Amino acid sequence: MGGVLEIRDLHKSFDSHHVIQGFSMDVVEQTLSCLIGPNGAGKTTLMDLISGRLKPSSGSVRFRGDELSGLSESDIARRGVGRKFQVPAVFKELTVRENLEIAFSREVNPFRNMLKFRDKAMLAKLEEVSVLVNLENRLSIVAGLLSHGETQWLEIGMTLMQEPQLLLLDEPIAGMTEAEVDQTAKLLREVRQHSTLIVVEHDMGFVRRVADMVTVMHMGTHFAEGKIDEIEANQNVREIYLGTEEDAA
Amino acid sequence: MNGNIYHDKRAQWVVYIVFFVSLGLIPVMQADPFLLNQLAVFGIYGLLAMSISLCWGTGGILNLGQGIAFGMGAYGMAMTMQMQSQDPEFSPLPSFMSTNGLEQLPWFWEPFWSTGGGIFLALAVPTIFSLIFGALMFQARVSGPFFAIMSLAMLSAFYILVLDMQPYTNGANGISPRMPLEVAGYSLDPYSPAAYWLIFGLLFSLTVLAKLLNQSKFGQIVRALREDPERVRFLGYNVALYETLIYAISAFIAAVAGCCFTILIQYVSPDQFDVVFSITMVIWAAVGGRLSLIGAIIGAFLIQGSESYLGDQFLNSWHLILGFFFVIIVRFLPNGLAGLLEMLLAKRSRSSTEESPPHGRAKSPAAANAEKAGV
Repeated sequence: MGGVLEIRDLHKSFDSHHVIQGFSMDVVEQTLSCLIGPNGAGKTTLMDLISGRLKPSSGSVRFRGDELSGLSESDIARRGVGRKFQVPAVFKELTVRENLEIAFSREVNPFRNMLKFRDKAMLAKLEEVSVLVNLENRLSIVAGLLSHGETQWLEIGMTLMQEPQLLLLDEPIAGMTEAEVDQTAKLLREVRQHSTLIVVEHDMGFVRRVADMVTVMHMGTHFAEGKIDEIEANQNVREIYLGTEEDAA
Repeated sequence: MNGNIYHDKRAQWVVYIVFFVSLGLIPVMQADPFLLNQLAVFGIYGLLAMSISLCWGTGGILNLGQGIAFGMGAYGMAMTMQMQSQDPEFSPLPSFMSTNGLEQLPWFWEPFWSTGGGIFLALAVPTIFSLIFGALMFQARVSGPFFAIMSLAMLSAFYILVLDMQPYTNGANGISPRMPLEVAGYSLDPYSPAAYWLIFGLLFSLTVLAKLLNQSKFGQIVRALREDPERVRFLGYNVALYETLIYAISAFIAAVAGCCFTILIQYVSPDQFDVVFSITMVIWAAVGGRLSLIGAIIGAFLIQGSESYLGDQFLNSWHLILGFFFVIIVRFLPNGLAGLLEMLLAKRSRSSTEESPPHGRAKSPAAANAEKAGV
């Protein structure tokens, strides 16, 4: 099991404001890493840098040995990096089924897609994913009518339809009920069987349940890393968090 | 889900067939050549409205400069027809050129000696122009109102260019070829049923192709990027490429409409590049329903039809009435008349399932299966 993602000495600044300052991290194949840290630590910015929404000021992001920084968002997605956004981004005017269908992006050539009407491989994948994310009975509903938790699942489902090797999930359980959180934890454990995940999450209870590794960010730096018990026992981590940990729990 | 019949693909195709077959039968029942010619011109408006529906409705790209492709197509056809009535030996120069002091046929007129070459250029030049202009805009992620303004500015530039290049375009007087278009020895009389059928044959086949395009994976992706281009990018699709293509396909249809226009009217002038005309195209699509190809076509028929028959009675106030109508539609029916129909049918299907819930429930798994097979 080798390294999937290698981040080296990453910097990102907006004008004189340094958001990411010399961040380095390694992610191993088929692990679920949770990224935690106080607000403003740079977690979402890091996701943006990996997925190409932002370009780093300096440093490198290597995915399976290939440099990602400098590539466009669509090229990075093509290489197998899927992304779920903090504010769920689904196509609200389209049905759940259409959302999932579009996300199946094995073929991106527009001319070939003009001739594509019924895609067997897609239908098989759609069946699998819709059961996995618990939306198999909601397929013909317009996505804008889904509950908040279901919308989160739909977006996770969309990233799964992409057949990614690395999934970046930004706050996947925000706004979910207790039962939905349980299901999501189960789902993520299942996804981890075939892919690598990086999950940004505030809820320490959830992190404890799903994480193989926990990385703590603070002020744009790599602050600490380890198993959840080590992190919770770490006095320095407790200090930077102060009240936030109790709020989340 | 109990299905709204509006979204039923089979019902949609039935509507298409009924609509186009009845249009095709008109010349059988109506022999008045002037009326046929006028109705054929409506077919051209239908093509334009349909092209706007594809670009703006499916792709969300508000294009106020569709007149560029339309005008280029119209001028290309006019040049072809003009050269058909010129003789390479005795009168190689259209008369307006000699009155404007030209002694030699300009180089870009040369290819129009050939009818096939001329028609090819009339379609290819606007399409390639749109590919380049679209690629420049969409690569830079120009979108929404900014793109609309850019397209409008480009259209105005073309209008002035055509007006100013008097020796090459005959300026404000325009080009009026003496003879109808002649293809393979056959002269296409613009007042004949043949001309009518040509236009509606094109309208029919291009609309069907556009509908298939909408139903393909390509169409699905374009509809998704109308809502959230950013998300589509993160799914791995090159958004600028998709936008450029839908924009260029729409321009190609407008160029076809331009060619047909000159065939029917035998006259072309800078008016075809007029800003008001391009905005009118958008109004047709908005009133009929930009999300529905056939809705946009019907919108064009309704507005132009009422302009022809009511416009005379209201004269100057016609544009005011049209404007008022447009404001009402945009405010209360954002998806136009097609959207109104969709709403009414949805209400009907909802009330019918409420009246007979057991029946409705029994039907839903079958409907879901049908949908699974259909998509």
